[in-house]
Amino acid sequence: MTAITIHDPTLRDGQHAVRHQLSAAALRGYAQAADAAGIPVVEVGHGNGLGASSLQVGQAAVSDDVMLSTVREALRRARMAVFMLPGWGTSEDLRRAVTHGADVVRIGVHCTETSLAERHLGFLRKVGAQAHCVLMMSHMATPQELAEQAATAVEYGAQAVGIMDSAGHFLPRDVTERIGAILEAVDVPVIFHGHNNLGMAVANSVAAADAGATIIDGCARGFGAGAGNTQLEVLVPVLERYGFHTGIDLYALLDAADLAERELMPAPPVIGSLSIVSGLAGVFSGFKHHVFDKAHRAGVDPRDVFFELGRRQAIAGQEDLIVDVVAELSARLAAA
Amino acid sequence: MTAAEPVYPVYVAVIGTGVIGRDLVSKVHASRLLECALVAGRNPGSAGLRHAAALGYPTSAGGIDAVLAAPKPFDVVFDATNAMSHAEHWRLLEPLDTLMVDLTPSRIGLPVVPTVPVAGAASGTRNVSLISCGGQASIPIAYALASRFTVEYVEVVSTVASTIAGRATRLNLDEYVATTQHAVTLFSGVSDTKAILNISPAVPPATFRTAVHAIVPGASAEAVGAVVADAARRVRRFVPGYDLVACTVAGDRVVVSLEVIAGGDVLPRYAGNLDIINSAAILVAERHAARRSRVALEAVGR
Repeated sequence: MTAITIHDPTLRDGQHAVRHQLSAAALRGYAQAADAAGIPVVEVGHGNGLGASSLQVGQAAVSDDVMLSTVREALRRARMAVFMLPGWGTSEDLRRAVTHGADVVRIGVHCTETSLAERHLGFLRKVGAQAHCVLMMSHMATPQELAEQAATAVEYGAQAVGIMDSAGHFLPRDVTERIGAILEAVDVPVIFHGHNNLGMAVANSVAAADAGATIIDGCARGFGAGAGNTQLEVLVPVLERYGFHTGIDLYALLDAADLAERELMPAPPVIGSLSIVSGLAGVFSGFKHHVFDKAHRAGVDPRDVFFELGRRQAIAGQEDLIVDVVAELSARLAAA
Repeated sequence: MTAAEPVYPVYVAVIGTGVIGRDLVSKVHASRLLECALVAGRNPGSAGLRHAAALGYPTSAGGIDAVLAAPKPFDVVFDATNAMSHAEHWRLLEPLDTLMVDLTPSRIGLPVVPTVPVAGAASGTRNVSLISCGGQASIPIAYALASRFTVEYVEVVSTVASTIAGRATRLNLDEYVATTQHAVTLFSGVSDTKAILNISPAVPPATFRTAVHAIVPGASAEAVGAVVADAARRVRRFVPGYDLVACTVAGDRVVVSLEVIAGGDVLPRYAGNLDIINSAAILVAERHAARRSRVALEAVGR
């Protein structure tokens, strides 16, 4: 039976769904429940990771320091993970996170920009944290390109490498092809992180596991930006039925998911119309609130905004482009 | 920008032959006040050295050693290498009578933004730092807002095209963030600041842009708009492609979006990040040249 390590970013990626407003009490409650279920890795932070609390994407309710110390205290068995985007966080943020007891550190880069992670992956190896590198918006690169980028990440020191379907754009065959190509290029564990814009997150995760990925991400109730992430409490039993071993207790997992629904979110994510459009357009799901707010204020169709952002190949972090696109579409409407 | 005619040429050297170095050579070539006397790189076959040689300038693959080997110190040395190398270059050049103009985000020299005064700027400073492209684009706006209003927080987010971000830039992201944030605070006087850099892989490449977010209680859209437009106009005097794309005020949140389109024959139009930092560097060197000319004229007068 193949063992799969479940990596749970509920308390990091879920932040996008609540504008980074999770309280220390909410973080503590879910971390304890996840730990009790035997989830091996619990990730925490601002939605965009260490050092990312900002007006550009939203200021967090709780500082990085408080988030990390709260979750660290709540975990007895599970390892704690953090996420960082180079250019947003710095080595200083990594050093602080490791001091707080982060065991696993993921450096996120756009799928063709692995060289941005060189310094930080090297730094993590020096301080002794487990270094992961994740390639975001991975639908924007070919399987071969992803394989080359993954191999580069391993050269820099990554001890696990993988892809995020940040826009929820993949179909299972896309995942099979990409995970397969990466596995041929590297000899470290491979990661898959899904989003559910087109209702394919669990199916895509199964495809990834079938293709040989051994670290799979999932969030309680799918808590995450837009249509949400792969729903953890569905993913785990489905993987078990396929014959993969996760080591997670089903009832305690379901309890953790119930707690997440009660304590973390106003409502579980649904695949709303706008999320379908962002998945089809291949735009980062975290843009949803920003697009919705700005489009409505200007009286333009947010679906048009998403397709235009897709045409401009906007990447995560470029929220400021939304203002421009809305202004341009609004001017076009006025001229018509 | 006006400057006195030089009474003798100001000799400059450029270290670094990446695209920043190449554009600097081209801008020195276009300057009336500056004379390029050496372009030093590390790789004898680099495109940057070929470009300088084609313009008729002396070149060397000896790096900093070639600069030190000159019979007489250069008046100005532009350092377009990386933050780690700059520390070593400055250690070697500090004893000489040379103005070091640092284009790396090393935070060693005195930070300079041409349209913004800095408190305690001693004219004797011989190492000036151009901070970063995002710093050059955002600080004139942050300073203008903070001079006119009470500003509680400033955040500057820049996006640079991947194709123009070389290895030094990629390795120096931490320095970029720290140096830019430090300079925004230094010039604006706002203690709570943040800097972010995105590298965009979009095809065709994304034009360099900077968003300045600020929390400005009680600001009116009209007053903010006027202050920002005036600050942008001053920058446009030496960076014609500096464009104010949008300025919105919602409650106490101000967002100013800027784009810089590069001019000249070396840079693609989207590389406004390099145009603004290099134009500022040239202006700093020209002001130094003008100062030296005034000093020389006064000496003749005595």
